[in-house]
Amino acid sequence: SDNTAGSLLLLLLLVSDLLLCQSVASLPICPSGAVNCQVSLRDLFDRAVILSHYIHNLSSEMFNEFDKRYAQGRGFITKAINSCHTSSLSTPEDKEQAQQIHHEDLLNLILRVLRSWNDPLYHLVTEVRGMQEAPDAILSRAIEIEEQNRRLLEGMEKIVGQVHPGIRENEVYSVWSGLPSLQMADEDTRLFAFYNLLHCLRRDSHKIDNYLKLLKCRIVYDSNC
Amino acid sequence: MDLWQLLLTLAVAGSGSAFSGSEDSSEKPKFTKCRSPELETFSCHWTDGVRHGLKNAGSVQLFYIRRSTQEWTQEWKECPDYVSAGENSCYFNSSYTSIWIPYCIKLTSNGGTVDQKCFSVEEIVQPDPPIGLNWTLLNISLTGIHADIQVRWEPPPNADVQKGWIVLKYELQYKEVNESQWKMMDPVLSTSVPVYSLRLDKEYEVRVRSRQRNSEKYGEFSEVLYVTLPQMSPFACEEDFQFPWFLIIIFGIFGLTMILFLFIFSKQQRIKMLILPPVPVPKIKGIDPDLLKEGKLEEVNTILAIHDNYKPEFYNDDSWVEFIELDIDDLDEKTEGSDTDRLLSNDHEKSLNILGAKDDDSGRTSCYEPDILETDFNASDVCDGTSEVAQPQRLKGEVDLLCLDQKNQNNSPSTDTTPTTQQPSIILAKENKPRPLLISGTESTQQAAHTQLSNPSSLANIDFYAQVSDITPAGSVVLSPGQKNKAGISPCDMPPEVASLCQANFIMDNAYFCEADAKKCITVAPHVEAESRVEPSFNQEDIYITTESLTTTAGQSGTTERAVSSEMPVPDYTSIHIIQSPRGLVLNATALPLPDKEFLSSCGYVSTDQLNKIMP
Repeated sequence: SDNTAGSLLLLLLLVSDLLLCQSVASLPICPSGAVNCQVSLRDLFDRAVILSHYIHNLSSEMFNEFDKRYAQGRGFITKAINSCHTSSLSTPEDKEQAQQIHHEDLLNLILRVLRSWNDPLYHLVTEVRGMQEAPDAILSRAIEIEEQNRRLLEGMEKIVGQVHPGIRENEVYSVWSGLPSLQMADEDTRLFAFYNLLHCLRRDSHKIDNYLKLLKCRIVYDSNC
Repeated sequence: MDLWQLLLTLAVAGSGSAFSGSEDSSEKPKFTKCRSPELETFSCHWTDGVRHGLKNAGSVQLFYIRRSTQEWTQEWKECPDYVSAGENSCYFNSSYTSIWIPYCIKLTSNGGTVDQKCFSVEEIVQPDPPIGLNWTLLNISLTGIHADIQVRWEPPPNADVQKGWIVLKYELQYKEVNESQWKMMDPVLSTSVPVYSLRLDKEYEVRVRSRQRNSEKYGEFSEVLYVTLPQMSPFACEEDFQFPWFLIIIFGIFGLTMILFLFIFSKQQRIKMLILPPVPVPKIKGIDPDLLKEGKLEEVNTILAIHDNYKPEFYNDDSWVEFIELDIDDLDEKTEGSDTDRLLSNDHEKSLNILGAKDDDSGRTSCYEPDILETDFNASDVCDGTSEVAQPQRLKGEVDLLCLDQKNQNNSPSTDTTPTTQQPSIILAKENKPRPLLISGTESTQQAAHTQLSNPSSLANIDFYAQVSDITPAGSVVLSPGQKNKAGISPCDMPPEVASLCQANFIMDNAYFCEADAKKCITVAPHVEAESRVEPSFNQEDIYITTESLTTTAGQSGTTERAVSSEMPVPDYTSIHIIQSPRGLVLNATALPLPDKEFLSSCGYVSTDQLNKIMP
C-alpha cells in the first residue's frame, strides 16, 4: 500500500542520512546546474569542517594501520627527513601565522593543497589495491579519503566563490612525483614510499582541518567562536 | 649536504630506540619526553644521568634544529628556555614552535652529544588535565538505591578548543572511595558526561583526562572529584529486587479457588457433572420408581405379578368366597346329577355348556337366579335325557324354592349375619323334615326321570367342585374323592350300593354335602329304586367326595356297613368359612362329635348356634 511504501522510503532516507552523516555526507548544497543557488557560508564552512575533520580521522587511522602492519621493525625513521610534495607550498606553520594570514590567501592555500592531493590519492588507491594481501582497512579508507577530498575541494571552491568571488586564480598545486616510488619492485623501498605518502597525507589533512576551523571561526563567527 | 644528512640520519637512528621510551640505566643524560600541551608550545625534558656524587663536568645543553622548506640550512640552536619547564628541561614558546615541521634536538654534555631525537610537534601533543570538575544529580531510581549524575569539566585552559585549533577527547574514570580499580568510560569529545547507576549509599571518586583526538597519548589526570550522593530515603526497599513470589502464590491460589467455587456452585449441570460426578443410585430392577410416585398401582402390580411370590390379597379372598358359594350350590345338585356327571359324559359340548352354566351358577347364591339355572340345564343333557339334566335343575330349583321358602322362614331364626350362601345349608340342617319332603320330591322327580337317567346323569350328582385326580385314557375325568372310574360307574347301576350308602349316616356326609347325605338316607329307606337311583347319586357324591367313601361304597353291599363305618370319609375339600361376627369354623362333620342329627345333616357349615352346641 501507499502507506507502507512511503514509510519504507522514509526509513531508507533516514538510514541513508545516518550513514551519510557518519561518512560526512554533504547535504545537497545546490542541485547541479543551478546558478543562483545560495547556500549560506556558515553551512558551507560547517560542511567543509566536517569533511576535513573526517578526512583527517581517516588518514590517521590509515597511517596507524599501515605503521602497525608494515612498518614495524623496518626503521622507517626517516620520516623526519623526507618531505612531502606539498611542503613547497608556504602554508602557515603555527596558529599565529594562520591567524595573521589573510583568509583569502589561506583559502587559496587550502585549495592548492587539496588539489595537490588529487593525483596522489588516486594512485594510492590503485597501488594499495595492487598490494600483496591488501588490507581492507587501508584500502577502504584510501578510497573514502579520495572521494571526500574531492568533495572538500568542491566545497572550498564554493566558499572561495562566496568569500571573494570573481577571482579565480590559476590552479596551482604541487605536483606529486612519488608514483615511481610506489611502484618500485623493492619491497622496502615501496613500503617506505607508502609510509611516507601516508604520513604526508596525515599531516596535510591535519593542516587543512585546522585552517578551516580557524577560518570558520574568523569568517563565520567573526572571531567570536 | 649528503654527509650531513647521513650523520643526521645516523644520529636519529641511534636516538630512535632511545626515544622510544625504553628506560636505560645509562649514565648519560637523555631525553625523557617532549610534549606539547596545546599545539602551540612544547618542552623537552631529560634526565640528568647523575652518578652518586659525580656530576658531569659540563652542563647539559640542548640544541635543536628544525627543517623548513626542505632545507637543512639552519644550525643547531640552543634551547631558548631552560627554566620555564623546570629542571633539565627546555621550553619552547610559541614563537619557537612550528607545527607540521620536523624538529631535531640533541642533548650535549661537555660538548658531546649524548642524546638526540627528532619529532614533529603535532605528534607530541599531550594536553593538560581538564579543570573545573563538577557533578549534578540527574535522577534517583524508584527504588531509591541508585542514582545518575552528570559530570562536567572545563578543558585545559591553555588549549584553544574554542577556535578549534586543537580537538580534545576526554576520558572519565570513577570508582568508589574504598575501591582500588577505576572504572573507565569511553572517550568523548564533549566536556560533560553522565554517569549512571551510582549507589546512593556510597561515595565515588571521579577524574578526567584528555588527549588529542588522533593521538594515543593521554594527558595527566585531573583532580579527583568526590561525589557524595544524598542519603537513601528511610522507606527504601530492600537492596535487590526480589521476585514477589509470595504475592504471586497468594494471587494464584486465590484465582484458582475462585474458579473452583465458580464451577462447583455453578448451575450448569455439565460442568458440575465433570467436577462432581453424581453417585449412582441403586435401582430396583424392573420397577420404575416413577410408577410408584405416580401411584399407578395397576402397572406395578402387573410388573410384580411376574414374580410368583407376589399374589394380591383380593384374589385370594374372592376365590374363597367363590368356593364357599359353590359348595352350597353343589349340595343341592348332588342328588340329581351334578356337574361331574356332565363332566364325565361323552358329551363334551354339553359338559362344557353345563360347566358354562354351572359357572354361571357358581359364585352366585343358589337361591338367586333360578331361571337361568333351569334354562341352562334344560338346554344341556348329560345323560341322554333332559330330564336328568333337568332333574338336578329341578332339584336345584326345588332346592332353590326350598331355599327361598326356607329362606323366608329362616330369615328370622338365623339373624346371624351369615351370608346368604349359608342359609340354604342352614335351613336344610335345621329342618330335616322338609328335607325328606324335598328329597321325596326329588325322588319323585328322579323316579320319573329314572329311566332317563343315564349313568353320567347319576354321576352328575356330584358337587360342582371336585378335585380332578386323574384323567382316564378314555378321556373322562377321575375326580379325587373316588378312585374308581367315574365313567364306569353308573349310579343307576348301583342301586344297592346306593342303598347301602343311603344309610342315614349323616356323619358320612362331607363337610359340605349335607344335603346329599340327607338325600341318601331318605331315599334308601323308602324305595330301593329310588335309592338305587339316588344311591348312585349319593354314591357318586361320596365317590367324588372322598376316595374312602368310594372304596367303602364299592365294597359295601349294605347300608349298614356304611352306617356303621365309623370312618368318616374326610372330604378333600374342607371349607372354612369365617363368619363375620363371631368367627365360626366350618368343621368337618366327621371330626366333630355330632350329637344331633340335625347337626349331622349340616353341610359342613356350622353356624354359631351349632358351634355353641358342639362346644361347651
